[in-house]
Amino acid sequence: MSGSRTTYRKRLLQARRHPLQTLLSVVILAVIAWIIWSTGSWLILGADWSVITENLPLFAVGAYPENERWRPLLWLALLCLITAVTLLRPLIASKWRISGLALSWGWLAMLPIGLVLLAGGAGLQAVTSRNWGGLTLTLMLTGFSGLLALPLGILLALGRRSKLALPRHLCRVYIDGLRAVPLIAVLFFGQLLLPLFLPVEIEINRVLRAVLAFALFAAAYVAEDVRGGLQAIPSTQLEAAAALGLGPWQIQRLVLLPQALRVAVPALTNQAIGLLQNTSLMAILGLVELLGISRSLLANPAYIGRHLETYIWLAGLYWLVCTAMALMARQLERQGPSSATSAIPS
Amino acid sequence: MKRQRSRWLELLLVVVVLTLVGILVNNLAVNLIRTGLGLSFEWLWQPAGFALSEHTLPYQPGDSTAWALLVSWLNSLRVIACSIVFATVLGVGAGAARRSLNPLLRQLAGLYVGLIRQIPLLLQLLFWYFVAFLGLPSEPLAPIGALIRLSNQGVSILGLTLSVEFSAVLVGLSVFTGAAIAEVVRGGLDSVPRGQWEAFRSLGIGEALGLRRVVLPQALPAILPALSSQYLNLAKNSTLAIAVGYADLYAVSDTTITQTGRAIEGFLILLLSFLALNLLINGGMQLLNRIVVHPAQRT
Repeated sequence: MSGSRTTYRKRLLQARRHPLQTLLSVVILAVIAWIIWSTGSWLILGADWSVITENLPLFAVGAYPENERWRPLLWLALLCLITAVTLLRPLIASKWRISGLALSWGWLAMLPIGLVLLAGGAGLQAVTSRNWGGLTLTLMLTGFSGLLALPLGILLALGRRSKLALPRHLCRVYIDGLRAVPLIAVLFFGQLLLPLFLPVEIEINRVLRAVLAFALFAAAYVAEDVRGGLQAIPSTQLEAAAALGLGPWQIQRLVLLPQALRVAVPALTNQAIGLLQNTSLMAILGLVELLGISRSLLANPAYIGRHLETYIWLAGLYWLVCTAMALMARQLERQGPSSATSAIPS
Repeated sequence: MKRQRSRWLELLLVVVVLTLVGILVNNLAVNLIRTGLGLSFEWLWQPAGFALSEHTLPYQPGDSTAWALLVSWLNSLRVIACSIVFATVLGVGAGAARRSLNPLLRQLAGLYVGLIRQIPLLLQLLFWYFVAFLGLPSEPLAPIGALIRLSNQGVSILGLTLSVEFSAVLVGLSVFTGAAIAEVVRGGLDSVPRGQWEAFRSLGIGEALGLRRVVLPQALPAILPALSSQYLNLAKNSTLAIAVGYADLYAVSDTTITQTGRAIEGFLILLLSFLALNLLINGGMQLLNRIVVHPAQRT
């Protein structure tokens, strides 16, 4: 009995030390070495980064008027600052205690601050949204679409679970319908068809139309994520809340939603990252956000054939922003349960 | 009493929704009359007037717009079907590699998935088109004898010639969706108890065989539903082909709408054609589900 056991164990270990595994490792190492060698030699000898270095302001703010550029740049700097504070909070906690609530309000305030800084008014020279561009526009599109999509998605998720037949069906048709069509079609609808459904006297600019289209699209996906969160909550919670005498709206607001949203945070983070990446589609429909400004730069004869440098730079930027978002979300997840338990008086 | 209240609530909702739809339709009618457009599908039967860079059925600019749309629909179907095959192979490979015994292979697959998922698909498509394929020399490269010929005019495999646009969309979609499928496969493999892996390894069954005959059959019921939603995503993402000039359904619809000015009608046809694509993929996946998954495992 024990003899056959050792045979099995031996075979199990042999599987790990199979000669084929060693061969595989050698091949992979060779491939990695080749990739590093060819990329390295290209970076040093072949690459010409002038397309990036000469156009940094364009990548950051697009065609924003030159003597007003400090406004979007200030906003970007503020965003970097609050990101740094959020990410470094656990490290600096011993010196400065920053409450999570203040930080959340700070993040929320970033959007109106950005809008005022970019659009002007209140003493600042007005700049039309046609002149917005670059990373600033990418972040504005992401931020405002997300802000609109979240409450809309929550409403749709609640509607889809409603006991009333009509709202349930309406929400289902909306969610399934929008999830079945490509985003570019929705954006196309927003740019070309949306004005046809509005009264003649109402005219909304292209950036706002893009934000609306993104929000309507993303809401359908947010709704499914929130619904997943709602389903994860045991029905005993509902019964307990009802037994305490809470009304149906109070149960939703105080018991169901806070827990469901916490469960949905990882999925919602992925949606937010996806939304940021998807704003690049507006380059096809003529906005000069990060990808759009690069396309117009590459069309400039001075930078002919500088595609690879530009794309690597863009990939790096997108990667950086997405990673920062993912890291912050992970921090949010980690802090979530502990703050929930500390809220219960012992 | 509670029932009655919800009745009223429902009625109120009906009124609100109907009013909203009414306002929108009214606005649309007013706008269509104001611009003198009205609604009409006559243009479908008039000559398209534009050339298509590639077509599987015979096509000339003198053919009707409806025919041009059908040809573009087939172009979409072609690139979607091919990408699904490649993405699945790549995804299953990378997903299995993330659970491989070889730590180097695990790292490499993890790097692939992590990198691809943090970069927008559109950027990746532009990279494949402008850098990878248009960057090839005009004199064909033939790395494996005469089996494959690569040049910036096109790719030829065993005499079958593919355009640069098609190849770029194919590679871009496959690499992007492959990373998503790898995550799906990894999740599916993790749903199979560890004991099953240890059991086949201790019986001396090789990794590939054990994966194919022991683990994958048990993981499939968990993988297939998520896989089919990835295929639908791939179909939706194929509309980005317009950025590299591949004549797919969305690109040709866009051209038609610009030429005829028939935005509402063109958009409706686009949606319907896309619905047909979705139904086709869904039907295929249900068929696959019936063939591959054992009846006892179906949920």
